[in-house]
Amino acid sequence: MAGTSGDGPSGAGPNGGGRNGGKAIGLRVVGKPWKKVDASAKVMGETKFADDIFLPRMLHCKILRSSAPHARIVKIDTSKAEAYRGVKAVLLGKDLPIPYGILPVSQDEHPLAIEKVRMVGDPVAAVAAVDEDAATEALDLIEVEYEPLKTISSIEEALETSEPRIHDYGEYGNVHRRTAYEFGDVKAGFAEADFVREDITFYEGSTHLPLEQHASVGQFSPDGKLTLWSSTQDPHYLHRSLAKVLGLPATHIRVIATPCGGGFGGKCDPFQHEIIVSKLAMVTGRPVKICLTREEVFYCHRGRHPVLMATKTGFKRDGSITAMHHRTFLDGGSYGGHGAASTFYTGVLQPTTYTMGTYKFDAVRVFTNKAPCGPKRGHGTPQPRFAQEVQMDKIAEQLGLDPAELRKRHLVPPHSLTCNWLKIGTTSLGKCIDKVVEGARWKERFRKLPHGKGIGLACSAYMTGAGTAIYWNNMPHSGVQLKLDRSGGVCVFCGSSDIGQGSDSILAYIVAEVLGIEPFDIRVVTADTDLTPVDLGSYSSRVTLMTGNAAIQAAERARDLLAQAAAEKLEVPANRLVFADRRVVDMENPEKGMSFVDAVWLAEAKFGTLGTTGSYTPPKAPGKFKGSGVGPSPTYSYCAAVAEVDVNPETGWVKVERIWMAHGGGQAINPVLVMGQVEGSIYMGLGEAMMEEMTYRGNRNVVHKFPSFLEYKSPTTLEMCDVVTYLIEDDERETNAPFGGKEAGQGPLLPVPPAIANAVYDAVGVRIDEVPISPDKVLKAIRAKAKGQEGRYGPTHFPSCPMPEPIRVATPWEGGTGEGVKREPALAKA
Amino acid sequence: MFPANFDYVCPASLAEAAQFLNQHSEDAKILAGGQSLIPLLKLRLAAPQFVVDLGRIAELKVIRETNGGFEIGSLVRHVDIERSHLLARGCPLLPETAAEVGDMQVRNRGTLGGSLAHADPAGDFPAAILALDAELTAASAIAQRTISAQDFFVGILTSALYPNEILTSIRVPKLGPRTGSAYVKMSQQASGFAIVGVAAILTFDEKGKVTEARVGITGVASVPYRAKKVEAALRGTAASAKEIAAAAALASKGVDALSDIHASAAYRRDVAAVFTRRSLEKAAQRAGRK
Repeated sequence: MAGTSGDGPSGAGPNGGGRNGGKAIGLRVVGKPWKKVDASAKVMGETKFADDIFLPRMLHCKILRSSAPHARIVKIDTSKAEAYRGVKAVLLGKDLPIPYGILPVSQDEHPLAIEKVRMVGDPVAAVAAVDEDAATEALDLIEVEYEPLKTISSIEEALETSEPRIHDYGEYGNVHRRTAYEFGDVKAGFAEADFVREDITFYEGSTHLPLEQHASVGQFSPDGKLTLWSSTQDPHYLHRSLAKVLGLPATHIRVIATPCGGGFGGKCDPFQHEIIVSKLAMVTGRPVKICLTREEVFYCHRGRHPVLMATKTGFKRDGSITAMHHRTFLDGGSYGGHGAASTFYTGVLQPTTYTMGTYKFDAVRVFTNKAPCGPKRGHGTPQPRFAQEVQMDKIAEQLGLDPAELRKRHLVPPHSLTCNWLKIGTTSLGKCIDKVVEGARWKERFRKLPHGKGIGLACSAYMTGAGTAIYWNNMPHSGVQLKLDRSGGVCVFCGSSDIGQGSDSILAYIVAEVLGIEPFDIRVVTADTDLTPVDLGSYSSRVTLMTGNAAIQAAERARDLLAQAAAEKLEVPANRLVFADRRVVDMENPEKGMSFVDAVWLAEAKFGTLGTTGSYTPPKAPGKFKGSGVGPSPTYSYCAAVAEVDVNPETGWVKVERIWMAHGGGQAINPVLVMGQVEGSIYMGLGEAMMEEMTYRGNRNVVHKFPSFLEYKSPTTLEMCDVVTYLIEDDERETNAPFGGKEAGQGPLLPVPPAIANAVYDAVGVRIDEVPISPDKVLKAIRAKAKGQEGRYGPTHFPSCPMPEPIRVATPWEGGTGEGVKREPALAKA
Repeated sequence: MFPANFDYVCPASLAEAAQFLNQHSEDAKILAGGQSLIPLLKLRLAAPQFVVDLGRIAELKVIRETNGGFEIGSLVRHVDIERSHLLARGCPLLPETAAEVGDMQVRNRGTLGGSLAHADPAGDFPAAILALDAELTAASAIAQRTISAQDFFVGILTSALYPNEILTSIRVPKLGPRTGSAYVKMSQQASGFAIVGVAAILTFDEKGKVTEARVGITGVASVPYRAKKVEAALRGTAASAKEIAAAAALASKGVDALSDIHASAAYRRDVAAVFTRRSLEKAAQRAGRK
């Protein structure tokens, strides 16, 4: 099959931009647009998603969810439901009393509410019945009596309301987390500045909107072992949570991540329904399936945190940043989830784009009675990037500098440490800026277009994999096993879960590259906790880098075995052998060689059954202070974007005409897949910038307004703008990344909202300092400006919250060691 | 989600349908194109015992020319209105409005009668029906009656129809000489429903003075309405750009504007004026304004 025109790389390069540098010379698979290994099944409708699984005697589960936003459960009567036709089991909170949560510091969730509910949509009871109808109808027969509690709907309300507490843990009252850091002497940094400005911005919450609703099937076998098929991004973390809550040994649990119809961060947490169907399978002895309704997916949420930000920046006349004090408030919703990490991420990556002398960062996450927020594409960083990049535009205008030039003057240099001890590897941000400036004809058009038309620029950086696992351990983050058999076939086993981004294909490409065979000679088995070595999951843009490095190691070890056996036969030194075109040949005498299959036969005869492993552990981060685990990454990707908009001054309607995006992702393992990620990120960023919002109604603003596709506003093909994508390679290969390939799935979202906001200013001269940039906000700002007031729409007030003393760390250029400076015990101080 | 169980009834004639509804009016829902009812069933916001499909009643699917106008059966689909040559010549406002409804899938299935009977405050057709001063015919097993467009829309998702009545046809006038019409709207981005939709009809006399102005506005208030203050301000004028702008400024005067996630009341008032002006401008140009 391999080598046919259908499977090979298409001859033409990718459209719209193309790759520069010609770095891919010498590579046969990497850098070429090979078909994805799962593409045919996907396009022919043959992929088996979790909801396509039907097992004999399978029961269907439905979950009764709370209609009260915050209440004590006084009484639940399930007797009528239990007696209803076809009902086999009913579960309540007391049946699963052990709490869980993705982060060790936030074990605050239960599969079914115990004693109280914290949001509309909190699961209260679950039914397993012979069909979906019976289960649905039985839910109506469950009687729940609630005693309402005061609800909390906003950041300000959470800060003001100490009782009742939504959770009985956290900092105090309804404040979940407070984080404060100071890198260098910020006060001195501000004193050194020629100008200081503070801007208050707001970034609305939004949800992932995967097309596939979450679905799971649990099966409990007579030998006491549980199997769970689930649409999850992180089978490993789910495995651990199941063991904890179900009280089963992890060795008796198998989690299989089914092909995922979209994740975007929304399938990272262990979810209630995953534990519930497992328990129901154990109770009934029959397989149990659930497929959430779209409404339930909105309640699972874990999407973008609404974040209110105050960014105070000191800068010199040349635009260099001497100090930044960045403060954030996160509306976390009803549970912890990834929230403690999200809190860090609203500040920790700010110093990664432009050189920053000193940096102070305060972040506060509060609980509210709304769907819990968490990791959505870009996890916690699109919000601060919006604040920073809109402010950069204002700084450029204040200084009379071109915003592109201003940014280019102060780029974080490659191989440097930031003021907060993040190790920057290679960077191509300067090249990215040049590319979009050229593509968008920036110099001819910025501030020169007719009224109503405008262009804006913004940049970003993003991690390629978190340097630290979610739970502390010193084992690898990713493992790969290879099995070679006498057919010449190679099987790759890895715990990673392909959520559509192509991680299964990346494994095949990389192993094929190293072993000199075709990607379609390789079978890829992933995301099965019984069969595959641990990979931590599809989050933090880590998969290509970490599984790629592990795959290189495993494949190189296999290649060494084959080379030894082939060298013996060919009577040439092993280090002279090259693997290409399914052959092993002597590079000095290419006629001398053998087929790959023959090499496998010889190696198996020599060494016995062939199998190798590879592992990857990220490098140790230079920062050693408490909390320094969040932010470090083996390398960072960089992006620059220009947005072009058309603003109707009468209606405030903004049409984004085109976005030019240069993505500095190093060597693309497959340029078509990278472009897909870039375009998908632009699409998602466009939705957040222009229209998406998780909105709540009711007199207390705690009932989700639109838990449906019908009215949750997200761009369709009609609203999608034209996109010009440039894939920019590094000048030198990033040695921490496999073949120099960095992340692509999240970073390109980040510059989209600020580029649009900056373009709106260029078009009509008003600042919209919050997203979404809806027409009413634009019109209000235009009207205000016409009346001689400030042409701006956005938050004007920033609440206060007592903060602990910051963890102080000296910057590298102050001669710091990366350790925290000794400080007084953390005391609340206004 | 799947709808709750229901019994499917498919009467062969209008009389049979009316008879059935007379017996089961409280437990039955009428299915026309299904663009509103099916989502309601799937979300289980509606769980009727009977779904009465009118799809086999051929007489409801016809567009006919009548004396001085057209009679459009309630089951005529949006796409058939959009493509009707008869209407394009005699009442172009309807095809223009039909082209703005939802997306192609919705237009292929949805019906004029279904859209009107659903009485969505952001539907497109109500604006046109009001501007055309249409008459709607409702039939039950007991009687048949005519309801004027202005009396038809009662509240959010509430029409003047009784539960045992079927909307059978909509009668609209043929537009005369020196008359122009237009429908323009600002849509909600997810659904295509109107944040504001304005249908305007202007008729001039031979001297170029406006003799008749009718403006229907949807999306702005809980009930689509005739903007009579705008109409009055235009009558007798030459409908110059300035006169149109002044009249359009009255688009939401005295109206209780809706405020929701799609737009605040203030924003709706702002854009109602803008879109009324645009609609009137188009209509005036099409009428051959002097």
